[in-house]
Amino acid sequence: MYLPDFEYFTPDSVEEACQLLSKYGPKAMAIAGGTDIVVKMKKEVLAPEILVSIGHLPELKKIEYVPGKGVVIGAGVTHNEVQNSKILQEKYLSVCEAAHQMANNQVRNLGTIGGNISNAVPSADMPPILIALDTTVKIVGSKKERTLPLEDVFKGPNQTVLEHDELITEFVIPDGSFTGSTYLKFGLRASGALAVVGVAASVQMDGGVIKDARIVLGAVSPVPLRAKEAENLLKGKQASEELFEEAGVIASGECRPISDIRASAEYRRDMVRVFTRRALLKAVNEGHV
Amino acid sequence: MAKEFSYLNMKREYSYIGKSLKRTDILDKVTGRGKFAADLKFSNMLYGKLIRSTEAHARIIKIDTSEAEKLPGVRAIITAKDVPSIKYGLSPARYDENIFCIDKVRYYGDKIGAICAVDEETLYKALKLIKVEYEVLPAVFTPAEAAKPDAPQIFEEYPGNINTEIHLEFGDVEKAKQEAYYIRTDRLQGQRTLHGFIEPHCSIAYWEGKRVTIHSAHQSAHYLQHHIARIFDMKEGDVRVVLPYIGGGFGGKVDISGLDIAAVALSKITGQPVKMFYDLEEVWYNGRARHGMDMKYTTGVTKEGKILFVENETILDGGAYTGLGVASAYYAGALLTVLYDFDNYRFDAYRYVTNLPPCGAQRGHGQPHPRYAFESHLDHIAEDLGMDPIEIRLINARKANTVTPNGYEVKSYYLKEANEMARDASGWKDKKGKLPVGRGIGVGNGGFVTGAGYCMYRTDLPHSVAMIKIYDDGTHAIVYTNAVDIGQGSDTVLTQMAAQAMGYPYEDITICTRDTDLSTLDFGAYASRQTLMAGWAVKRAGEDVKRKILAQAAEMLKVKEDGGYRFGKLTPEELDCEEGIVFVKQEPAVNITFAEVARAYFVKHGVLIGRGYYHPGKLGGTHKGAAVGTSPAYSSATQVAEVEVDMETGLTKVVGTWDVHDSGFVVNPQLLHGQVHGAFSMGIGETIWEKVVFDEKGKVLNGNFAEYRLPTALDMPYVESLVLDTFEPNGPWGVKEVGEGATTPTLGCVANAVYDAIGVRISELPLTPEKIWRALKEKEAKEKGGK
Repeated sequence: MYLPDFEYFTPDSVEEACQLLSKYGPKAMAIAGGTDIVVKMKKEVLAPEILVSIGHLPELKKIEYVPGKGVVIGAGVTHNEVQNSKILQEKYLSVCEAAHQMANNQVRNLGTIGGNISNAVPSADMPPILIALDTTVKIVGSKKERTLPLEDVFKGPNQTVLEHDELITEFVIPDGSFTGSTYLKFGLRASGALAVVGVAASVQMDGGVIKDARIVLGAVSPVPLRAKEAENLLKGKQASEELFEEAGVIASGECRPISDIRASAEYRRDMVRVFTRRALLKAVNEGHV
Repeated sequence: MAKEFSYLNMKREYSYIGKSLKRTDILDKVTGRGKFAADLKFSNMLYGKLIRSTEAHARIIKIDTSEAEKLPGVRAIITAKDVPSIKYGLSPARYDENIFCIDKVRYYGDKIGAICAVDEETLYKALKLIKVEYEVLPAVFTPAEAAKPDAPQIFEEYPGNINTEIHLEFGDVEKAKQEAYYIRTDRLQGQRTLHGFIEPHCSIAYWEGKRVTIHSAHQSAHYLQHHIARIFDMKEGDVRVVLPYIGGGFGGKVDISGLDIAAVALSKITGQPVKMFYDLEEVWYNGRARHGMDMKYTTGVTKEGKILFVENETILDGGAYTGLGVASAYYAGALLTVLYDFDNYRFDAYRYVTNLPPCGAQRGHGQPHPRYAFESHLDHIAEDLGMDPIEIRLINARKANTVTPNGYEVKSYYLKEANEMARDASGWKDKKGKLPVGRGIGVGNGGFVTGAGYCMYRTDLPHSVAMIKIYDDGTHAIVYTNAVDIGQGSDTVLTQMAAQAMGYPYEDITICTRDTDLSTLDFGAYASRQTLMAGWAVKRAGEDVKRKILAQAAEMLKVKEDGGYRFGKLTPEELDCEEGIVFVKQEPAVNITFAEVARAYFVKHGVLIGRGYYHPGKLGGTHKGAAVGTSPAYSSATQVAEVEVDMETGLTKVVGTWDVHDSGFVVNPQLLHGQVHGAFSMGIGETIWEKVVFDEKGKVLNGNFAEYRLPTALDMPYVESLVLDTFEPNGPWGVKEVGEGATTPTLGCVANAVYDAIGVRISELPLTPEKIWRALKEKEAKEKGGK
């Protein structure tokens, strides 16, 4: 396989990157870790004439806690940096655990969290847990800036609301009242496998009662999916395995899986039931967000 | 009756063998200094690729290369009209492959032509400009489709698409049926897999006058040389094959690849070196890996579980061409009789051609699927009789010094002892039948030939030849052999053997291999043959050196009369040489260094050379196909696996594995354990994850290591590798194979463990989570319905 010809820019700022993307239009694409785009270029699935590098920009590399705002994660942070971040390990260990379950070590070393989101692959591992924690996204373009709930970023497989001159610059996990969360990935081997089903759950417990909950499903619909009916079932109820099984059954009715080379839709549906129950149990019992 | 001779517990101590000495290639491999074919560059080298079919079955109407030829930097484009129309393959009975397709293509990826250019960029651009016009023909993708009366015919020479048909019977099966207490039939399917080596094939050729040199990622310098000479109507002496370090083979680099042939043809036309290479995905089309098999076994036993007869009906999906496939078909039935001692055996097999990539050999050639099927079948028989699975294996295990009904002479063979040791090491008695639901333990037996008894083509050549040259001053030795180290460590093992045979320090020996000009004939790395066959040649060459050294030393050493010895000349028989010192056996203080003696020899006679060769002699029976499965020695092995199955998801985690090998004398224990670990990795992968998947056009859907899932280090269980202390009289120092045999029990033992865990048999590999999930659902529904 051979990488086709392209022009390569290394701008000094996000602003300059957006201007380049604006100037060259759809024939230009941003590249950070390149773990997806380079492979697709070699396979001729993508053929950008211009690549605008953003992975090196220091402003995209931060992970910090801003009191009153939450944990801010720059879009250029790699999965291994997420996994190893002290701040995230203390505040949102589940996010670190999700990052650790991504692909394999080589990909985690290069691939960025911004890339994982912008790429909008239905089986991506980071969106479910971040959505379950009410994460918002800052999007910067050549003319405007906007902030959206992460949940609203995805439009379909490989499709987001980003315009071609826009970049995700940071994620904010807001200070919340969740008492527990987790992401369970079901892949077909221990490492280097895409999720057949991914389920993230977050709960706000008041003693044994669930005050609030989020259930986010990966790999079983065109976009990461909130299982809202299942969430509603839980609110105000006493936590129990039976309740979580019921939530799993409802969630498996809410998802819209496809059959592919890895699994049938029927199997994925049942795995949503199993992993929703398991994720809720873990979120409640493990006691970390 | 004479007392049965045992080859058990004969272990002896040696200076250089039986020890885990450092690999000869270790620094090259860990520093990256070692060169593989893809690393090689020659001045003015061109880069080439095959032009491959994008249809599974089609007549070629037109090949338009005109646009590609106009691209600057393109040096040559060749198709069938530019090369000899000779057919080739590996078995003369089935030469069915043209260098490039002449009339039609037979699988997606078939070879239409080849192209070379000044660099890779130009090459890929030019490939896209080549237009092939096809008349698409209906295609068949399974043996069932191929067998239909109105199925499209893929080859004229294989009516009904039957490539190989085998009907063998030994003993009297019908009579045994009358005598059997219990008869059971099981049908199981093994899938098409891939070796999973990480080095794709690559071949570089260049011409110097009438001679051509080929550097190739290949498992046999000799077969490559032989076939290139045959295809291009050259003398073998005019074809030089050099094999660099090989990044894994597992049987996938034994067939002559289109790359080798195209590189020779293109470099002839251009007058420049040409490097031909596959991208990783192309290996899925050209890798020639394990056949998919559909296997039906009917076995009759006595009340006590003794096997009286076996009927074996096997259907193989051969893919488009034959290559090694005839042997695969015979191997699918040949070796069952080695494992278990029974008199009446019927083996019927059909290898169909289909419009899929050709299949060939993969580690354990033709064995792992049949072992999986029969070991599963045997567990069911044991269960039906109320027997422990290991008990039925102990009763039926073949014994040493016996002959199989299909004519194999088995010398050392300790399968019974292997079962006992594996049973005890794994805690079988505390686990079998006592584990909770979802947890299971299973056993599987296997083993392999230690080298094939016959060359792949008819010849009287010895199978292995070796030479050892001692430097002028005696300070270094070079071992010459074209045994092929494909990662298994044969260079190391053969160097250890040379050191032991000569009595010369291991660290002062260099091995010169894998070059038909510089080194000596060997058939290469397949059929687990290097340690025994090349080992014999090296041992004999070393002993030849030692003989000359002792004779020379006898003239140089003196002992005193009063010690009971003579003055002056000793006889060589009174001397020995170990670790570089020649000494008088009865008075070791009287000694001289090997190097001093060697130098004196050089001064007197010229270069000191030792020579050795090996031929296994005539082996086997007289029936059709009797040659396949003959071997000077047979290994045996028992494996036990313990698994944990998630009863909701169907995900299997192998938690523990035990392997006991009856491998003869072990030259390098660490290398043996490495083979066993690797075999478990390959076998577990094939049991749970791996399968090559195609779309409706015959295009591979999982041609990458993300979707063709080999186990990762994180998926590997605890592995305990144990060795029985056995001795093989037909092997140098008593050696037998381990490399391929170790893969043969794995599929069966893991599948049996899964059965033990979930209580339902899944009859088709791989045992993916979804298949287990579905089987459990069906079982649950059935149980509910039953109530």
